[in-house]
Amino acid sequence: MTTAVLSKQDVLRTTLMTLRSALPELRGVLIATTDGLPIVQTMSEGTDANRVAAMAATAIGLGKRINDTLGSGILTEMSVSGLDGQVYLYAAGKGVLAVVAPAGMNLGLLHMEARDAAQSIASVL
Amino acid sequence: MSPLKLVVSGPVGAGKTTFVQTLSETAVVATEAEATEDIGKALTTVAFDFGTLNLDGQELHIYGTPGQDRFNFMWDVLCDGALGLVMLVAGDRPQDFMHARNILEYITSRFPIPFVVGVTRQDLDRVWKPADIAAFFGLPLSQVVGLNAINPADGANLLIRLLERLPLSPHNGAPPRVGSTSSPL
Repeated sequence: MTTAVLSKQDVLRTTLMTLRSALPELRGVLIATTDGLPIVQTMSEGTDANRVAAMAATAIGLGKRINDTLGSGILTEMSVSGLDGQVYLYAAGKGVLAVVAPAGMNLGLLHMEARDAAQSIASVL
Repeated sequence: MSPLKLVVSGPVGAGKTTFVQTLSETAVVATEAEATEDIGKALTTVAFDFGTLNLDGQELHIYGTPGQDRFNFMWDVLCDGALGLVMLVAGDRPQDFMHARNILEYITSRFPIPFVVGVTRQDLDRVWKPADIAAFFGLPLSQVVGLNAINPADGANLLIRLLERLPLSPHNGAPPRVGSTSSPL
């Protein structure tokens, strides 16, 4: 009898699917490397996941410098919000978690679930 | 005289971050992350490098871009308002020459600003020379300069060659000399 060993990618995909089922209104979720490559993602059709992964890395990279300058310590998360939607980016160890949400979403629940997910991701990567 | 915004671009590993860090007179804002790909080094720029330099009384603001294509949105962001471009190409990476030409084409088609090409790694024994790169790019040799990116005098020389190409620059006709007493280098 053999035990299937889950690859890192499988574990990450499970984390991603858990997040999506906890927050069905999300437009997309993506886990990327800190140098901008997508690892796993479920973005909507017509969204360039490669582009989002790179932009998430750029934003986090810039966020880290801003934090350093302001003496705010290790970067945990940041967001970009528009009138029609928003994205929340979470530092996740050697990766980045990007959560794309519609405008007006319940942020309390989003942060609770997403921060949990970011911690799971950090322990895997 | 208001500061001149210059951009440094080129393929991964060309020496852009090194170039900015070597020349900057102020603490450089760098945004490096661990590279997950095999690019020959541990870190890679994911947003930009920012440094400043005063060259013969002219204040320069220098922005280094990331090199990978996936960050090409940053080439647009950083080149907005730039008055000149430095394209760096590693002289020991001929496999990147075509990519360097593509980046140059991408940027100059959107931002038709004066540029020079810097061929780095000239400290190595076996390295492609400016004349080779000039031929590859179809550029006059006057626009292609060799340098060692960790050498401040080399870096300043490359910038001076770029400044000479800017319109209405006080350097036109009377370029500052590297090593003159008024130069910080």
